Amino acid sequence: MKLAQLMKSSITRFDSMTYRSFTLSAVLLGFLISTCAPAQSVARKAAAKSGSSAASDLVAQQAEEHNQATSTGLDIRLPLQAKSVRFAVIGDSGTGDREQYDVAREMETYWQAVKFDFVIMLGDNIYGSHSPRDFVKKFEKPYAALLNGGVKFYASLGNHDDPNDERLYKPFNMGGQRYYAFRKGDVAFFALDSNYMDPKQLEWVDQTLKNSAGKWKICFFHHPLYNDGRHHGADVDLRSQLLPLFERYSVDAVFSGHEHVYERMKPENNIYYFVLGNSGKLMTHDLRQGEHIKGFDTDRTFMIVEVTADKLYFQTISRTGETIDSGALPKLTQSH
Amino acid sequence: MLTNRISSKLQPLVKAFCWSLVVALMLLTTATASQNENSSPEVKDFEQRISKYLDAEKAQNISNKPSASANKIENQKKEAEQKVREARPTAKQGDIFTPEIGAYFKKQLAATFQGPDGEKIRKSLNRAEPLPNIPLRVNQKYPRELPLQSMPPTLLLNLPRLPNELQYRIVGTTLVLYDVSSDLIADLLPDALPGGVAK
Repeated sequence: MKLAQLMKSSITRFDSMTYRSFTLSAVLLGFLISTCAPAQSVARKAAAKSGSSAASDLVAQQAEEHNQATSTGLDIRLPLQAKSVRFAVIGDSGTGDREQYDVAREMETYWQAVKFDFVIMLGDNIYGSHSPRDFVKKFEKPYAALLNGGVKFYASLGNHDDPNDERLYKPFNMGGQRYYAFRKGDVAFFALDSNYMDPKQLEWVDQTLKNSAGKWKICFFHHPLYNDGRHHGADVDLRSQLLPLFERYSVDAVFSGHEHVYERMKPENNIYYFVLGNSGKLMTHDLRQGEHIKGFDTDRTFMIVEVTADKLYFQTISRTGETIDSGALPKLTQSH
Repeated sequence: MLTNRISSKLQPLVKAFCWSLVVALMLLTTATASQNENSSPEVKDFEQRISKYLDAEKAQNISNKPSASANKIENQKKEAEQKVREARPTAKQGDIFTPEIGAYFKKQLAATFQGPDGEKIRKSLNRAEPLPNIPLRVNQKYPRELPLQSMPPTLLLNLPRLPNELQYRIVGTTLVLYDVSSDLIADLLPDALPGGVAK
């Protein structure tokens, strides 16, 4: 009888311990699953969309480090590291049309989550007439939220821009010059005027790149050196003059507009080339099969970019908020 | 016998040396010719006329300053435009591109397009939204409704240098001297580009 009671109480104790352990394990497992699931879902989504190993690396890193980004509900593929340089990119934006405003709204949404500090403009910032009303309609109004939030815009000149008006327009931060350089952390930026690449500017490019202490060197200007668009194509003469300088002084990345599409080209001699000329204008189905890794010509886009010590992370987002390209690009050049 | 063998072995070296000498001489001649052309009377005259143009502009105290107000920038530009027009009330086509200077420019442009970079420059021009020939006048505002035809850098390297205040522009086959601060056409040279350059 005593033995039977002892056995019964042991079984009950065992059961209750097992039950408690099981419950605790289940709760813990549930918590872990709920924490990891969004990050894994972002990871899967990104890997499925880009299909590149670089994107997979980036996504894996994201899952480890940046689950907070997913709490906004946005698909963010930048690592959002401390002390990184974050900026957005727009090109051929200044139409004043509804599509420009749509892109600007999407930029604002991403800015709330990513907090990029500034925007680089790849030219054709104001299309058509350049009256004060045009500056409001084609720049100040669409980007009002960003401007009010302290985001700076750095413009380069396109073939539809008025160099005299725009270089003097303070919100474009050109300092009264057609071409200029500025520095953000370890990244040096060079805004060039590809409309008029005279010997004086070429000398300036040579000297400024040579003397730059930036660890990363990023050039941006309107006319692309590489491009698979049917409408314009690459500017071969400009390329013949700029490329030797870019290679000599270890430029890391080049952003251009002009062709109203998005393209990420195959790196050439360790330099990454992006074409983004569709933040306002669009040339639908303009892209040929060519040298690009990724092309997009069916809607408007903008980019968000983050530069860390050793990688350039980018995410290209369409007017409707879809991520159409992303990745983490290692630095290929040695700092000059 | 030995001498013959040595000379046959040296023959390719001597040949290579001679060719190098010829190439070096050719390069030297071209460079000298180009230097001579840059200091040609037409270029000197052109530079003097540019200098005179800028003196007249400077006398008007034009100062376009950066501003956050697009209104202010527009007013500055209008003022500059008026002042430059007042400084050159009788300005006409050919004041800077005289017939002699014009002929020099046409020769330079033709040589550049026929040279080794010609095809590259032609491609570059055609891919940068080439403009049609439209009527233009001296002291007229540059037609802002049209995009700017970008200038191929190699072409600019073959033309006399300009100060910051002025730029070369191409409209159709016309070479335009563009005044940046006033947005006015300082002078123009019709039919400057060889036929068939632009689309």
